Amino acid sequence: MPEVGPITILLVDDEEMVLTSISSFLTIDTDYQTWTYTSPVKALEKLDHQRVDLVISDYLMPEMDGISFLGRVKQKYPQVPRILLTGYADKENAIKAINDVGLYQYIEKPWNNEDLKLIIRNGLEKTLLLRSLEAKIREVQKAQQELGDVQKQILRVFA
Amino acid sequence: MNQQIQESQAYLMQSEKMASLGRLIGGIAHEINTPIGSINSNNDVLIRTVRKLRDFLDCGDCPLEVRDHPEVIKIMKVMEEVNHNNHMACDYIGEILVSLKNFTRLDATKKQKVDLHKGLNSILTLVHHHLKNRIQVVKEYGVLPDVVCYPNRLNQVFMNILVNAAQAISGQGVLTIKTFPKDENVKIMISDSGTGIRKENLTHIFDPGFTTKGEDGGTGLGLSICQKIMEDHHGKIDVDSELEEGTIFTLTLPIK
Repeated sequence: MPEVGPITILLVDDEEMVLTSISSFLTIDTDYQTWTYTSPVKALEKLDHQRVDLVISDYLMPEMDGISFLGRVKQKYPQVPRILLTGYADKENAIKAINDVGLYQYIEKPWNNEDLKLIIRNGLEKTLLLRSLEAKIREVQKAQQELGDVQKQILRVFA
Repeated sequence: MNQQIQESQAYLMQSEKMASLGRLIGGIAHEINTPIGSINSNNDVLIRTVRKLRDFLDCGDCPLEVRDHPEVIKIMKVMEEVNHNNHMACDYIGEILVSLKNFTRLDATKKQKVDLHKGLNSILTLVHHHLKNRIQVVKEYGVLPDVVCYPNRLNQVFMNILVNAAQAISGQGVLTIKTFPKDENVKIMISDSGTGIRKENLTHIFDPGFTTKGEDGGTGLGLSICQKIMEDHHGKIDVDSELEEGTIFTLTLPIK
């Protein structure tokens, strides 16, 4: 989660109506800010100079499929949770691809808003945990380094 | 010999027709999935929004003359009712979509382990218009293991027998579906309280082309195809009928 400002979620679906539905839901029921794109290419451009906290993408899109799109998102921001939205006939392909690009979750259309909210919340929590874990690891590494320095000093004194 | 060729031709044509129909239905279901998803979600959003509005009207910040204004009361009532109605309509469409998906099972070109009750329930949803307000459906489902089969083809059998049963009942009636495991098989008994089948016809109902439904009735292929599908599954289909009492079709299907 960002240190300042609201949590931002990037939504990509070639169907404008899906974007409107999900962003209306998140607006009325959460404090998340949403950015919506019908074009995955434009969404990637946005990501070049703006980071987000979570990305949700449709699977079947004319420009680029959701798996490739989320794969590109992963290259830019490996820790940002990525969620795939699928129609039911794509399910099997989608599940296969989940392992390939390391998705956090997939959601089937028609989706349930309560489930969607839960999945987003858990995804964000996972990022938060990862970030705090990284901070802890850095602290431990620093402490180890300091200990090493002290040890060297002691050795030097007694040498 | 000649008759055999004709029979297998008719069978092939019918199964090809069913396959194309399945693909068509699957395609339509897939296409409407996204707009339905959207409508469904929008309805949910509206319900949440109106709930928030209601909470605001009921809170201390809202002037009483606004909350109790007849126009506000009327608008709120209409919104809540319409939202509720839409919610039920969306659920129903969703149910039909899932049933269509289970019925066509585009993924099922290979044998699979399936829950037969799920298939039966899906077909019941799809034939709802044949039954509603007229026929009471009694489900006496036993505990069945998953069965290895071609689900889309078995669904065809269920569909055929259930539609026949509904057609055999002219006014009000009862349709009973009973399932139970027996030895290495599962049994599905579908009985109706309809007009029954004449004794002289009973031996012919599985013959290809045999029909008593008259002009706007069927092709006379339905039950012969059901029998073929059951044989392909190393199972069988039996019939027992009493005039004016009703008919029982019993499907026997090996578990493995």
